[in-house]
Amino acid sequence: MGFREHAVRTDRRDAEALAEGIPPLLARAHRLAATLSLGVHGRRRSGSGEEFWQYRPAVNGDLLRQIDWRKSARSDEHFLRQLEWQTSQSVTLWIDLGQSMQYWSRKAADRKADRARLLGLALAILLSRAGEKVGLFDDPAPAETGEVQLSKLALSLLRTSASDYGLPPEKELREGSVAVFLSDFLGDWDMLEGALGRVAEQRVAGCMLQILDPAEIGFPFDGRRVFESMNGTLRFETLRASALRDAYARRLAERQSALRRLAARLGWRASVHVTSDPPLASLLWLYVALEDGS
Amino acid sequence: MTTVAGIGFLEPWLLVALLALPILWWLLRAVPPSPLTLRFPAVVLLMGLRDADSTPERTPWWLLLLRLTALTLLIVGFAGPVINPEDRAADNKLHVVALDASWASAADWDRRQQRVAELLRQAETGGRPVALVRWTDPPPSEAALAFTAGVDALSRAAAMNPLAWRPRYAAWADALENAAHRFDTFWITDGLAHDEESRARLAAILASRGRLRVIGGSDSQTALRNPRIDDGRLAVTALRLPGGERERVAATASGPGPDGLNRILAREEAWFEDGSTETEVSFDLPTEIRNRVRQIRLLGRRSAGAVVVTDDAVRRRRVALFGGSLEQEGSPLLSPLHYLRQALGPTADIIETDLSDALQSDPDVVILADVGNLSADATEHVSAWVADGGLLVQFAGPRLASSDVGRFEEHQLLPVRLRAGGRSVGGAMSWGDPKRLRAFPPGSPFSGLPVPDDVVVNRQVMAQPDHRLAGRVLASLQDGTPLVTARDEGMGRIVLFHVSADVQWSNLPISGLFVDMLRRLAVSAGQRAATAQDLLGQYWTPVRVIDAFGIIRPEGSIAAVDGALISEGEPAPGIPPGVYASSDRAVALNVLHPSAGLEPAAWPADVRVLPLNGGTELDLKPWFIAAALLLLCADAAAVLVLTGRATRLIGPAAALAVATVLSTWGPGSAAAGDRERLAANNTVLAYVITKDQRQDAISAAGLLGLSTILHQRTSIEPVEPVAVDVEQDELAVYPLLYWPVTAGQASPGGEAARKLDRYLRTGGVILFDTLDSGDGGASERFRHLRRLTATLDIPPLEPAPADHVLTRSFYLLQDFPGRHAGSDVWVEAAPADAGKLEGVPFRNLNDGVSPVIIGGNDWASAWAIGRDGRFLFPVGSGAAGQRQRELAYRFGVNLVMYVLTGNYKSDQVHVPALLERLGQ
Repeated sequence: MGFREHAVRTDRRDAEALAEGIPPLLARAHRLAATLSLGVHGRRRSGSGEEFWQYRPAVNGDLLRQIDWRKSARSDEHFLRQLEWQTSQSVTLWIDLGQSMQYWSRKAADRKADRARLLGLALAILLSRAGEKVGLFDDPAPAETGEVQLSKLALSLLRTSASDYGLPPEKELREGSVAVFLSDFLGDWDMLEGALGRVAEQRVAGCMLQILDPAEIGFPFDGRRVFESMNGTLRFETLRASALRDAYARRLAERQSALRRLAARLGWRASVHVTSDPPLASLLWLYVALEDGS
Repeated sequence: MTTVAGIGFLEPWLLVALLALPILWWLLRAVPPSPLTLRFPAVVLLMGLRDADSTPERTPWWLLLLRLTALTLLIVGFAGPVINPEDRAADNKLHVVALDASWASAADWDRRQQRVAELLRQAETGGRPVALVRWTDPPPSEAALAFTAGVDALSRAAAMNPLAWRPRYAAWADALENAAHRFDTFWITDGLAHDEESRARLAAILASRGRLRVIGGSDSQTALRNPRIDDGRLAVTALRLPGGERERVAATASGPGPDGLNRILAREEAWFEDGSTETEVSFDLPTEIRNRVRQIRLLGRRSAGAVVVTDDAVRRRRVALFGGSLEQEGSPLLSPLHYLRQALGPTADIIETDLSDALQSDPDVVILADVGNLSADATEHVSAWVADGGLLVQFAGPRLASSDVGRFEEHQLLPVRLRAGGRSVGGAMSWGDPKRLRAFPPGSPFSGLPVPDDVVVNRQVMAQPDHRLAGRVLASLQDGTPLVTARDEGMGRIVLFHVSADVQWSNLPISGLFVDMLRRLAVSAGQRAATAQDLLGQYWTPVRVIDAFGIIRPEGSIAAVDGALISEGEPAPGIPPGVYASSDRAVALNVLHPSAGLEPAAWPADVRVLPLNGGTELDLKPWFIAAALLLLCADAAAVLVLTGRATRLIGPAAALAVATVLSTWGPGSAAAGDRERLAANNTVLAYVITKDQRQDAISAAGLLGLSTILHQRTSIEPVEPVAVDVEQDELAVYPLLYWPVTAGQASPGGEAARKLDRYLRTGGVILFDTLDSGDGGASERFRHLRRLTATLDIPPLEPAPADHVLTRSFYLLQDFPGRHAGSDVWVEAAPADAGKLEGVPFRNLNDGVSPVIIGGNDWASAWAIGRDGRFLFPVGSGAAGQRQRELAYRFGVNLVMYVLTGNYKSDQVHVPALLERLGQ
């Protein structure tokens, strides 16, 4: 357990460092009426909550029991006591744990998996500071907030999957919540599209961040090569790798445009993060994307 | 061995493998470099793509060529290619390793032994019995070579030494003529012909028995012939092999000095002219010194040939002659001394003066010709001189015959008693014929001299027969009457010729025999070498012998040698070269026969002469294999490049290569800066380079010695001293400059002078050394120093006062000797108002250090040590010299202390005051 504890602590530390300086993420709740889950942030308007918001004169139609008699007794009018509407958003993260995320080339600063974990955890910290609930697709428990949840999150992110390419598992999500997908989206496209579509069907907003290694973008290979997927299930041999660079670039562009089209269709957002770049830019993108809503 | 185009192959059958190269070509061509397997998650995007060029990739032709070349090199390399291959073929199982092992082999005997050891090991490896032979040994009596295992021969070879005579080719040729074996011979020659005819015969015999290989050749060989006296000089002829260039030879003559120890008495040089084979080294020495010369040695040659010993031939005796009667003017032939002068004149220094004066001049021989009676005083004088080792030769004559000397008792100066009057034979008034001489008896010093028939004696003095007479007769007439008698007296000897020294009594003085007899008596040592005449019939005992390496050692174990053998003039087994003695005479037997020259050995055309050190045979195997490995490395690199794996490796490899190259070449370019950095970080003694390289070497060695002493004795731990060029180098990092003043130095010009001034003003110290024990500033070197430093700002100087800090900065010193002692050392003058503190033996002198210290004691030479720690120059002599050197070092230690600590030691005078103040 020692290693896991250490790893969790390291992840947390890196993520905290990354999240530092970004104001607590306030995910804009979408479709407020439908989701009445109480949160800690006031919505600057009256509603159901715990904090006092304002008194207003009673008008016709107000229920008698709604009148605040203490306030009303001081004057001739009747007042209602309104509470500030407080709510919390829940964000569910999918961080791809497939073997393909373990790849890193010489130019990369990090494994893709490490980068995904870092970004995910930093996002979770920001959300958690803002009082949002954070959960994982891979974790059947519903999204929660707080320090304990962060620790749980960090721990479960250390798992990896044995399969080459990950797929977001089926999970019941609350309507109006947000799903964040951190993956290289290199798996079988049809299956990916299906899985993402099924998530979208639950009327959730979404962000997709494709994390790629610089080698996966530039294809800096040469000579006679045998390419293998990370656990060796796929094999491809070429006699002159350099000749394939353009074809590869086209295929990658296709995949990325497919991803963008999917996002557009679902009303989601999509972006690409390269592990050779610093992670902060992508974290900011996620922050903005969640704040604006999709 | 197979030879292809001058290259031999040790394992030629391996070349068959070259036939496999075409197959390899085909195989290598078909198999391209293996692909590199790579993990790549985005492989999914590649699936289904096709290579544009579908032809299978083949090995590039240049890579193929590279590999095939490497393989060819490997195959050829392992086949053992050899340039100028040595002939390893063997005709016979038996091997003979024969060495000339003469004096000429001594110079490079180690190399010869190594070669012999190689040959013997080869024989051992090949399981061949081997016989090890020195041609200088006499052949074994039973004409059979002793073949042993190589190991046994090895141990014998290790203990084998060359012998100081020439090889016995003739004897060996006779011995081997009928040898039954067949064998291969390795003949390690010294390159000299020695005895061309016999050597050719021996070579032919050996060649007929099996394969003959000759190893070794004529290096430079130099040898000396017997020394001789030539025009009053001691001359020796040096010989060398033909074909040399102009070459210098130096020889020393040595012998007992006044203290009886062997000393070098003279050293001379001569030049071999271009192409000439002989030159003469001549020593012009006073007779006294010349008579002391025992050996002459060529410098730098380690062989018996380069050493000659001298004998009586080069000694010139001093003979004092006295005649009884006054010389009659105008009739010299009647003078009793005339024939003696004639006989001795060419070979001896003749003294004819007053007897007492003559004895003062320490003659070797005194000859009294018919003196008769001497005064009692003179008799005592001469007698004492004889007892002290002199040789007194008396000749009879009318005066002796008529005197009573020795008549009644044995006279002090006569060997025998004489009968009155003598006798006259063959005269008109006497019976009988003039008497002839009887052959000399064995044991007599004249033994072996032929007796001419025409020598007759008419008159003689007669010895009184008594029991002692027989033992004292050296020569007698045919009738048995003694002609020459002798008696030992003390350490000396008294000889009496019973005839007169002129021709009145006999014609002996005008015969050749007379001269020979005198020589045999060592009255006159011949200036020519001892002839057979001189040697025959005598037995000679070796006193000192020369070994083949030219080392002379006293000899006591060799039996006396017949003079007949020595008379051959050449050493042989049992007759080593050296000095042989018989009674009073000594004869030298030198390595080279007096008439011999040095001839290079000529070999038959069909005999290969191999160089001594294995020589021109060059084994190419390592080169081939190395080249193949290099090519294979290149191949590996090429494969890396082809498969795209190179980028990962080339960067670091190139960096490493560059780093290696830089680290190899770097120091040279950065040396100057490094030196100053070193000097700045350490204490370094520095000397100023002069134009005189020898002086620079002395300075370096001197400061090295001083640095070593400082390291040992003090907490100053200087590193290696450095040379400083005041014109160019930065001086500020050196606390002390040692500046020897030599004649050729130019005074430092503008920039250098400013630099030196700055150096001196900012605390640098220069020790000027005029090296010449400069007497009070008047010497030439001092004038030179004055000129040298004219451009510098030197403060007023004074001789270092007795209370100067230099005298006590580490050791307590009174003076500052170097290799010379006693000259003043000048330092900056003390200020006029320097007062003496109460109760303190020193004045409170100026603060700061004298910027210059000037002396002439040649300190560097006294300090100088070599890398091995030995002193390079003698200082003084004996214990006093050691003390002086020690004081020189102490001066050096004090000086460096003074330079580094300034007047700190002087400040110690304040200690009592400080302590007093602290006590308050």
